[in-house]
Amino acid sequence: MNTLSRPLLRILVAVLFVLATAPDLHAAKQIGVIMSGDVPYYGAMHETFVAELNKKFGKTEKIEIILQKPFPDPISWSNAARKLIAFEVDLIVSYGSPATQAVIYEKSSIPLVYAGLYEPDQAAGLITGKNVTGCGFKVPLSSIIRYFKQLKPINTLGVVFCSAEEDSVRQYKTISALAEQQNITIKKIDIRSRADLDKLKTDHMDAVFITGGSLAHLWLNDILAILKRRQIPAADIFPDNSASGVLMTLHPPSTSPGQMAAEMAAQILRGEKPGNISAHVFRDTELVVNLVEARNLGLTFPVQLLVEATKVIK
Amino acid sequence: MNLVNLPAHNFTRRLIACLGLFLIALTAAMPVAAADRTEKLLIGVEPEHNIFDQMEQYRYLAGYLSDQLGITVQFTIMSRYGEVIKRFKTLKLDGAVLTAYTTAMGIKELDLEPIANPVNLNGESTSQGYIFVRKDSGIRNVKDMQGKSIIFVDQATMEGYLFPLAYLRRQGVTDFNKFFNRFSSSGSHASAIFAVLDGRADIGAAKNTALNKLALHDPSIQQELNILAQSPKVPEFTLCIKNDIDQNLQARLAAVLFQMDKTSLGQKVLKKFKALRFVKANKADFARIEEMAREARSAIAEHGK
Repeated sequence: MNTLSRPLLRILVAVLFVLATAPDLHAAKQIGVIMSGDVPYYGAMHETFVAELNKKFGKTEKIEIILQKPFPDPISWSNAARKLIAFEVDLIVSYGSPATQAVIYEKSSIPLVYAGLYEPDQAAGLITGKNVTGCGFKVPLSSIIRYFKQLKPINTLGVVFCSAEEDSVRQYKTISALAEQQNITIKKIDIRSRADLDKLKTDHMDAVFITGGSLAHLWLNDILAILKRRQIPAADIFPDNSASGVLMTLHPPSTSPGQMAAEMAAQILRGEKPGNISAHVFRDTELVVNLVEARNLGLTFPVQLLVEATKVIK
Repeated sequence: MNLVNLPAHNFTRRLIACLGLFLIALTAAMPVAAADRTEKLLIGVEPEHNIFDQMEQYRYLAGYLSDQLGITVQFTIMSRYGEVIKRFKTLKLDGAVLTAYTTAMGIKELDLEPIANPVNLNGESTSQGYIFVRKDSGIRNVKDMQGKSIIFVDQATMEGYLFPLAYLRRQGVTDFNKFFNRFSSSGSHASAIFAVLDGRADIGAAKNTALNKLALHDPSIQQELNILAQSPKVPEFTLCIKNDIDQNLQARLAAVLFQMDKTSLGQKVLKKFKALRFVKANKADFARIEEMAREARSAIAEHGK
């Protein structure tokens, strides 16, 4: 009896475990979502996505969402993509470039909708395919330099980026080229691990630009704490959703990408082919200036810069 | 921490209004002439992007003209673009330094006499309107503008409003509400340029001199913009005086302005005013602006704004 019941018990536990951990297998549709990291900007985008999807399907169809927030490194992005493919979800939604590229790399036949990608048409590994559509954004990085220069003389600009994130590297290269034209020296700060934050403690910099990468935004509070101690102003192209204290952000609209991703997802779930849905790049931006941080840093925003702001935090 | 979310347009308006009031008070207290001078000329100035710089420029000119004419000459920044006719009356101005379209309005409605145009440091007394986009916007012509956002300067500007309206109408755009996804006014030429550079608007309209001025400090600006259309050149600023001001005083004022670049003191003041010299204004220049205004007004009537 004992010899028979033990394997049975094991099977029963295994079945219960699978049922408890696996997504609702009875859901009509399943959407797998991967963020490039647990970044507030992607979180806000996802909230809008879910809200919009509920508006579209709330009363008519059950939608199950499996959310993956891998730590920002290539293995974790890849594992998250493989997990969703193994679940055979009906659609994958990815936020940020690394997560999107990890899904495309797997060459799955599952439709993919991406959102929150910096200039997807310029990406090194092309973000295209008959199963792929989505929306990216463009922020003119020259404006960041322009506005910094209105605040204080900029001879050396620190650029926080992550060499493992393709879009973050592209932003680093773009702003470096722009800075070079204006005789501004670039201080490269490649953040791959927490230990790399120490680079911010010693190098001389007049200001710091934080690229739209997930690792940098995962440790944004730590980065800003160091910069504040050194009285170095920071600008970002992601909105400061968690009120970390970035001096100035020039970022794409917060809600539009989530809304558009939901619209694209809805079309695909209703039978449309991703290849028939045009990808979109948001070019409109919002300029937010933080007067509290300016005061802390002993800086005064010139009137001409303040009048350009979409939002003023004071 | 108090989070204030102000639409840029409202914020600009409030800010400029507050600064305008502050500067009006400042101007009134400005000791530009001796106290025993009984005659006085009060001249309004249309506000620009940086009214602090503007006020500083006019301060030296006021002092110079007061000394040369033996009367008190005061310049006062008017609170905002547009409403120039109303402001002219309420502030009881004797004259004003006006941009192209407001000069045309002033001639027509206030019987102003255009006296002189300053020649800027590039040797130009004229400006022209530009319609521009970011180079990477993919917008190459009017057809590409459909469904995009456009930013104007103010309804009282030739370069930043009347010209683009007239131009777009000539290109077959009859219903702006339908053609553009969004249209707005920035309040200043520089703001319209920054809005396009930042991506806050797809298409902008502003004057070339504002663009040149910004590009002087930051050459990347011109590299990033494509100019799709340009208006004919018109006088950028014109010093106008009410016709009922003593003719002798008008003539003396004109003579002092035209002689400025010929004396060392005048040259110093011109340098601070950021001009090379003053030249005689030509009333006929404003007829073409009036024509453009008529064309633009018919566009407004059509799209019903």
